[in-house]
Amino acid sequence: MICGRRLQIESRAQTEFVDVTASLQAEVAASGLIEGRVFIASLHTTFGLAVNENEPLLLSDLSAALERVGPSGAEYQHDDFSRRVNVPLHEPANGHSHVRHLFLQPSLTLLVEGGRLLLGRWQSVFAVELDGPRPRELALQLDGNFEVPVRSRDRELLELELGRQLAVDAEAVELPMRRLVEAGGKRVRPVLVMICSRLGSAHDPLRAATLAAAVELIHDATLVHDDYVDEASTRRGRATVAASEGPERAIAVGDYYFAKATRVIAELGQERVSSTVARAMEMICLSQIEDVQLRGRYPGDHSGYLRVVRGKTAALIEAACVAAAQLSGASEVAVRRLARFGDKLGIAFQMADDLLDYSSQSGKPAGQDVRQRVLSLPLIYATEDGPIGTRLRRLLDSELDDEVVDEVQRLVVASGALERVADEARELIEAALEEIAESVFDPIRSDLTELARTAVDRAS
Amino acid sequence: MSEQLDVLEEDLSNLEHLWDQGLGEAFNFYRAHSEPTLALAAALVEAGCRLQGLGQAAADAGELLLGDLCLARASRLLAEGSDLERQISFATVVETVSAAAASELPSPSLRALLTVAIGTHP
Repeated sequence: MICGRRLQIESRAQTEFVDVTASLQAEVAASGLIEGRVFIASLHTTFGLAVNENEPLLLSDLSAALERVGPSGAEYQHDDFSRRVNVPLHEPANGHSHVRHLFLQPSLTLLVEGGRLLLGRWQSVFAVELDGPRPRELALQLDGNFEVPVRSRDRELLELELGRQLAVDAEAVELPMRRLVEAGGKRVRPVLVMICSRLGSAHDPLRAATLAAAVELIHDATLVHDDYVDEASTRRGRATVAASEGPERAIAVGDYYFAKATRVIAELGQERVSSTVARAMEMICLSQIEDVQLRGRYPGDHSGYLRVVRGKTAALIEAACVAAAQLSGASEVAVRRLARFGDKLGIAFQMADDLLDYSSQSGKPAGQDVRQRVLSLPLIYATEDGPIGTRLRRLLDSELDDEVVDEVQRLVVASGALERVADEARELIEAALEEIAESVFDPIRSDLTELARTAVDRAS
Repeated sequence: MSEQLDVLEEDLSNLEHLWDQGLGEAFNFYRAHSEPTLALAAALVEAGCRLQGLGQAAADAGELLLGDLCLARASRLLAEGSDLERQISFATVVETVSAAAASELPSPSLRALLTVAIGTHP
């Protein structure tokens, strides 16, 4: 099977190395290609491709090399419009760009293994703008063995069940929750339920969707209360319940959906499943309390971070895997393995979330975690650095206005903490995947692998 | 606080200070109608709703989180020490009072609802 896609790029400079690695990985994930190749072709004559290291000084060197190869001030017959025929209106004088293009690739082939681009540690894929800024397009063809990461039927069932569960509620609780649910979200927890529920012999998609929707409602209920605690004004691009309808309504909505989810799960009739989710809910609450307490000792340390993250994020991700496997009648050994998988995935997921606070493309304001003094591993690591750490601690003791937050962000980036956290998150994912290496996980391994790797390589 | 002997220490972990702030009194009330785990679960639901100011002025962030912990602890106690039907009854009580609070409607008496929930399956 071959799958065609297009990648749109808006270059921002005359000469620019645009790192498209993450975008290509996202296209691979979205296509469901597990093993195969990606053919990438530039659809332009002044826009090439290259694989190289994404190191800012090196990119300056490469730009300088291109300038030497095709100097912009030199004379090119291509720029003599008096001698050319059929010259389009607004044709730029860009002979130098075409010359430079000779030294780049018009197309590339990359390998895909296990649903991921096969690249070396230092390799990034660049689309190289030689005559920008302007809109550009890359054509992709993906060829190989495809597997739909989560069966589309399961995903459809999940969304239908979420809608069904909300439809029967009083408007005062339903409308704010529907706004949050319909605003999107990654659905990591319910998707895990849908995948892991396929493990046992008693797999029933409808019952799995019920559990998945309940788990998503628990997650969303925690967000409703969190947003009040954090005084957040927006969530998923929309006003939070507390901001739009007041804290009284937010508290009631959160309580309602905690209780409703508990009831819906109990109605599934499996005591082990109820216990699993109830324990996770308690862990979340304990961690939220500790999280707020630790903000007084900001930025905290690695062990405190892990303790809070295990409860705040990993507990429900682990419970989603475990409860789903229990619901389907999976073996105790498999359930225990999935528990360890979920714990590691949950921690890695939170680390990836921490990194988004330093990204301008995440959809949430950069620096928000710093402003709210939320525990964050990049900041913890950056404060361990000698001179940078001292400076950071001094800044964190002051009032966190925009200028200070910007400086904190800059120092964290300079410390190399982001790379350290990203490496740690990826290592955790690989350790999580080792938990599901046995043959019993064959039916769900590729879906879990794809979900886990996407979870730490996401841009939002 | 001798009645607390009925309750496992770990079941009150992080919530001990609430015992003299109404949790103990509520436990004694429900204990007269039921065994300790159910009585504590009911008392925790009461304490959680009260701490959060459910149906009244919103609690501050700290009390909201403590209230969440009370409700979650009650849910866990029921999941580990009771049957599914009682879990459903308790959850329905919280759904009822929180939906009323969100709708700004008068809420039925929480204690009356919980007493019924405890007695659903004697």
